[in-house]
Amino acid sequence: MKITVKLIGPFVQLFGFGEKELEVPEGTTTDDLIALVSIDKSRPKIVTRNGRAVVPGEALADGDRVVISPIYSGG
Amino acid sequence: MNGWTGQFLRVNLTAKTHKIEAFSEEFARKWIGGRGFAAKILFDELAPGVDPLGPDNKFIVALGPIAGIPAPNTGKAVVAGKSPSTGGYGDGNLGTRVAEQLRKAGYDALIVEGRAASPTMLVIEDDKVELLPADAVWGKGTYETNDWIYAKYGKGVGVLNIGQAGENLVRYAVVRSMEGRAGGRTGMGAVMGSKLLKAIVVKGTKPIPQADPAGMKKVGTDDLREVHQIDKKSGWSIQSTNGVLAWCNEVAALPVRNFRKTHHPDAWKCDGERLNNARIATYGCPNCTMRCGIAIRDDEGRESELDYENIGLLGPNLEIFDLPEIGSLNYLCDDYGIDTMSGGCVLSFYADAVDHGAAPGSFRFGDAAAAKRLLGEIARRESEIGKILAEGSMRAAHKFGHGSIDYAMQVKGLEVAAYNCKFIPGMALAFGVSPIGAHHKESWVITFELKQTVRDSYGPEKAQKVIELQRIRGGLFEYIVSCRFPWIENGWSLEHYPKYFKLVSGLDWTLDDFWTVSDRVYAMLKLFWLREYPGTDRKLDYPPAVWFDPSNVDTEGPIAGRHLEYDKYDGLLQHYYDLRGYDRRGIPTWATLERLGVAAEGQAAAKFGTLT
Repeated sequence: MKITVKLIGPFVQLFGFGEKELEVPEGTTTDDLIALVSIDKSRPKIVTRNGRAVVPGEALADGDRVVISPIYSGG
Repeated sequence: MNGWTGQFLRVNLTAKTHKIEAFSEEFARKWIGGRGFAAKILFDELAPGVDPLGPDNKFIVALGPIAGIPAPNTGKAVVAGKSPSTGGYGDGNLGTRVAEQLRKAGYDALIVEGRAASPTMLVIEDDKVELLPADAVWGKGTYETNDWIYAKYGKGVGVLNIGQAGENLVRYAVVRSMEGRAGGRTGMGAVMGSKLLKAIVVKGTKPIPQADPAGMKKVGTDDLREVHQIDKKSGWSIQSTNGVLAWCNEVAALPVRNFRKTHHPDAWKCDGERLNNARIATYGCPNCTMRCGIAIRDDEGRESELDYENIGLLGPNLEIFDLPEIGSLNYLCDDYGIDTMSGGCVLSFYADAVDHGAAPGSFRFGDAAAAKRLLGEIARRESEIGKILAEGSMRAAHKFGHGSIDYAMQVKGLEVAAYNCKFIPGMALAFGVSPIGAHHKESWVITFELKQTVRDSYGPEKAQKVIELQRIRGGLFEYIVSCRFPWIENGWSLEHYPKYFKLVSGLDWTLDDFWTVSDRVYAMLKLFWLREYPGTDRKLDYPPAVWFDPSNVDTEGPIAGRHLEYDKYDGLLQHYYDLRGYDRRGIPTWATLERLGVAAEGQAAAKFGTLT
């Protein structure tokens, strides 16, 4: 299935891309996806799937848009 | 008195006099500084009902015990007075050398009273206080005025100045410093302008009294280095505050088209990545470890320093996505001394009102050239529309009528910061209960709402989080007067601040001790509002009506079909009041005032409004 991954803020520079489409097997979770794009597990972040925050291990569906962002605090 | 200079400088522009006043250690411990000092002084000294733009209002510059001392991000000052936008308490903070220079001159606060007979510049050099003519720069923008001052006194002095907007009493005019910093979006620039006070220049040479100056110097210097290293590792400064724009666009929190939409396919054109790519220079405040001002070349070739708030509100909110065009609008606001946030909201309000046939004119969303012209007309109050819009969106809506108040994105008269809360109940509450009107600096809970709780929730956990953040952001950082960014964006522990406080004052306080001060200051601000608006009720703490409007929902995206609900919001507001110890109108009860040590102030306020 096809998933779009978008990185936010300094993650773009730190992890080398802004947005890309990935082909992943059925059953892939958000945690799998984060590992796939090499983002350190310990780095504080907020992950959203189609604009809503995810719970750990949430399963993805074809066509999902996953956004991985540092935890902003509104300046 | 270690930790404080123990003195205020009071200047009367009408009488052309000044005096140095000592304050007690008890006063210092009770109010700490910055917003705490300003709230107490304004409450005690302003008669209720004074015209914010008249000579009886006072303009205050207040500093805190660590302001100006080398430590992470301490180069900040609070400017305060009765607000021309809201008619209530107003303040703002800005990065400025005044923080260090005023304390070195021997003062923890400057209180300016009266009105000068002609354009004036106040110059403070330690005990020497002069009122000098400023006719040469009256009518000039903030950049030229700042350069004129630097040419006379050198670049090391502390400077506060205003542009044409402040001179012409635009109700959302700001105070500017260091050519890029601005503060006091509650109209503090207009308060200076009403006094014909074009600029303040400060130079100090005395040591700032500290309990352990050597210890503070060592810890402060080490921590400056450490926070800078943390920032380099986190990468926050790469996109600075504007990193959040793309995220807001993804989670439906971006203001687009006067907050009617929450996201836009072209928002990427002005996001943090594009801003970083366009960067030609970086600026920060004194003692900054993570400089957030990213300058780009605007569409007229000028250098314009941008952050998220001004991009969000002068950009997508006006349906303008071209960074150099946004930069140009930002440059004009900065030069005129217009608050970029309220400026953006006032223009979007006008475009929306015209669009709905509620206001005259042809201004449309997306028209950057017309927006530039309008900013000039507002700053100079030179056209009928410019005069009306200079009053801010709430007053302009009352003038236009035709239901246009529904398009004014404001709370208590202050325009909303760049977070669209169409369906973010806790953040809507944060705007609603902010003590100066809709400002994000008091509390920001969006990530908490999306991650730790449920976006749909109106539960007490959100009210509790708003209070927790108010104690830190609107409390601690506003009265010790230091930038919140090291903590908030890079995780610098709050425990550092009692440590700094002990090194400068010798007082061994816990964070809980500070939270009591925060609650005291918030209670005082409520008393200030009660005295100005004796009929006040909970409706004063409601966010803009458009967020509750079922006809204004998103038709697609993560919050499609959703909007705030009145009864649920009212329940959330009640949670907030209950947790704070306020009555159903949102006024602190006698028991709360006594617990916080401000019963005497309650007695004073009770002459004007009922306390329960």
